[in-house]
Amino acid sequence: MPPPPVRSPSRLLLCHCRLPFHISPQTRLPLSHNSSVRRRFHCSAVSAVSALSSDPQIAPTDLTTTPPSSHILSIRESLLSRRRTAADVAGEYLDRLRRTEPHIRSFLHVSETTMREAEEVDRLVASGKDLGPLAGVLVGVKDNICTAGMPSTGGSRILEGYRPPFDATAVRKLKEAGAIVIGKTNMDEFGMGSTTEGSGFQVTANPWDISRVPGGSSGGSAAAVSAKQCVVSLGSDTGGSVRQPASFCGVVGLKPTYGRVSRFGLMAYASSLDVIGCFGASVIDSAIVLNVVSGHDRFDSTSSTHEVPDYASFLMSTDHFESTPLKGLKVGMIRETIGDGVDVGVISSIKAAALHLEELGATITEVSLPSFSLGLPAYYVLASSEASSNLSRYDGVRYGNRATVDELNSLYGDSRADGLGPEVKMRILMGTYALSAGYYDAYYKRAQQVRTLIRKSFKDALEKMDILVSPAVPSPAYKIGEKVNDPLAMYAGDIMTVNVNLAGLPALVVPCGFVEGGSAGLPVGLQMIGSSFSEEKLLRIGHIFEQTLPNYRFVPPLFLELV
Amino acid sequence: MATGMTMSDATLLRRLSTLLVARSGCPRRMRLFSSYIVRGATFEPPDVSHLADSARISLAPGEVEDFGPKIRQVIDWFGQLQAVDLESVEPSVRADAEVSMYKREDTPETFENREAIIRVAPSYDDPYIKVPKVLSKE
Repeated sequence: MPPPPVRSPSRLLLCHCRLPFHISPQTRLPLSHNSSVRRRFHCSAVSAVSALSSDPQIAPTDLTTTPPSSHILSIRESLLSRRRTAADVAGEYLDRLRRTEPHIRSFLHVSETTMREAEEVDRLVASGKDLGPLAGVLVGVKDNICTAGMPSTGGSRILEGYRPPFDATAVRKLKEAGAIVIGKTNMDEFGMGSTTEGSGFQVTANPWDISRVPGGSSGGSAAAVSAKQCVVSLGSDTGGSVRQPASFCGVVGLKPTYGRVSRFGLMAYASSLDVIGCFGASVIDSAIVLNVVSGHDRFDSTSSTHEVPDYASFLMSTDHFESTPLKGLKVGMIRETIGDGVDVGVISSIKAAALHLEELGATITEVSLPSFSLGLPAYYVLASSEASSNLSRYDGVRYGNRATVDELNSLYGDSRADGLGPEVKMRILMGTYALSAGYYDAYYKRAQQVRTLIRKSFKDALEKMDILVSPAVPSPAYKIGEKVNDPLAMYAGDIMTVNVNLAGLPALVVPCGFVEGGSAGLPVGLQMIGSSFSEEKLLRIGHIFEQTLPNYRFVPPLFLELV
Repeated sequence: MATGMTMSDATLLRRLSTLLVARSGCPRRMRLFSSYIVRGATFEPPDVSHLADSARISLAPGEVEDFGPKIRQVIDWFGQLQAVDLESVEPSVRADAEVSMYKREDTPETFENREAIIRVAPSYDDPYIKVPKVLSKE
């Protein structure tokens, strides 16, 4: 049963806000402050901006002058008012996808039925029947999430051409809400990697600087939303694979609580850590997607029966913010994430973001998380071990590529040798080692004990603080090829994100600033971490932060040049 | 004693230390034993060919040479976990402490798209998915 359709964008934004800290919807930001703030913006590129026709109410130049708006709600409004058809919207996105793809290569497969599905949405609109909350919305789906009849490779040659017989629950829910899956996005093979250079097929480029990576493993999904090849996208996050690319590509990335979204149909990498997450150009869009994909699923016994609130319902328009809408909010800045080993530009962006939160009324305190740095080796032990087990199913027998040999053992050995990439092979071997007799206690069990310590340290910190903040990554996007031969250097980049997966907590990354690099700077994201099932709180805070952030607009040069 | 410790040695030492604690009620002596087990133990470095065999991946000789040092480097890095005092810390199997009490009905349901499952099998001869013969190791 899809969630009740959203009636109108303006009504949604005027809902009374029930935040725990005081907000009076009657108090308005002084108008003069508002408009002067809006005039001081950092324009990410010059040149003529052609109409972003999926937002008919926003004039083209407004794209770089106003805070991000909900593309989902704009599309909905334009369909309901008959100003545009779903076919128009789909045609616009497909056209932009085709023009930008040679430069960024974020898609492994583009759907052949997009226009047909858009025409069905148009028939539904014409019939006057209720539209689902994502009607006509183009969605990119990471290639490790099964889509019936559409290739799903997990970024691996071993599944090249594989078409699953079923949709993942998250995909089924998106389709039931009216979404159109425009294609499958590129990724590091089976989720193992932080750059998409681990893909068995192609490397995706960052729309902010095409000589750099978009991040990983959900690099294709992040790049696609950043370049507006689709409206929103699904990714998966096992050790940071949604949050790090969100930071690198200047988009909003949401990692829900473990168990919030069903993993049925997500190709398992590390079952105790994997979650499905989403990308959007604004916090509201991420909230709407979360509404649609969340919930208990009888096909995933690790999915939670925790109720699903309407995550988008309390995200208000800035007209209704009082001058300090975050008054009373206690924010903890994780000390271990703003010191040695972190890019100076990133630290200053995060500190500026903290100042912005303070201006909004929050109090920022530095907090220390004991055992923070142990999380990284513990994560890699657990993830490699679980992966070595989960990936044993790719044996060439029932699906995927099969080597041509005379004997069964060689069938397994050669199919896997030919189909799996080097990083995947290495992690399987490391996992096999860590789980072997005699070593289990020393590695796997100790990693699980470290997990307990990390869970406890987050729990203690989140009793004193409402949310914790940190950078999502210690640096801006790397150059393509920079981290390829040095596994430990690549793993080190996950330090800000893995602990959140070990503790199963939700986290939201919101673009907050820029560092030097590329033609227009490289984006930096602020990570906000909450306690289990506190996505509602994170999204409200993220929305207020994003809507009031002065000076920065996150539109990549590639979009402005090619559109 | 510690080198190349087998599972049974480790278990024996653990049982011994548990016994000592039970007798003396003194946690300190147990810590001495477990730290002896952990810090004293040096494990065999990873044998990449043997691991590849266990994992059923036919590595080319060049790959064994290439992966060896990288895997050893990462496993050494994992060694940090040995240096931490994890005495009386319960291992966490999963992220949350609660276990869902939901159980679905234990009744089989027919999957509605069996043709699509069969279609992706590399070699199918109704009703068998075919594989090459199994040769015994000897």
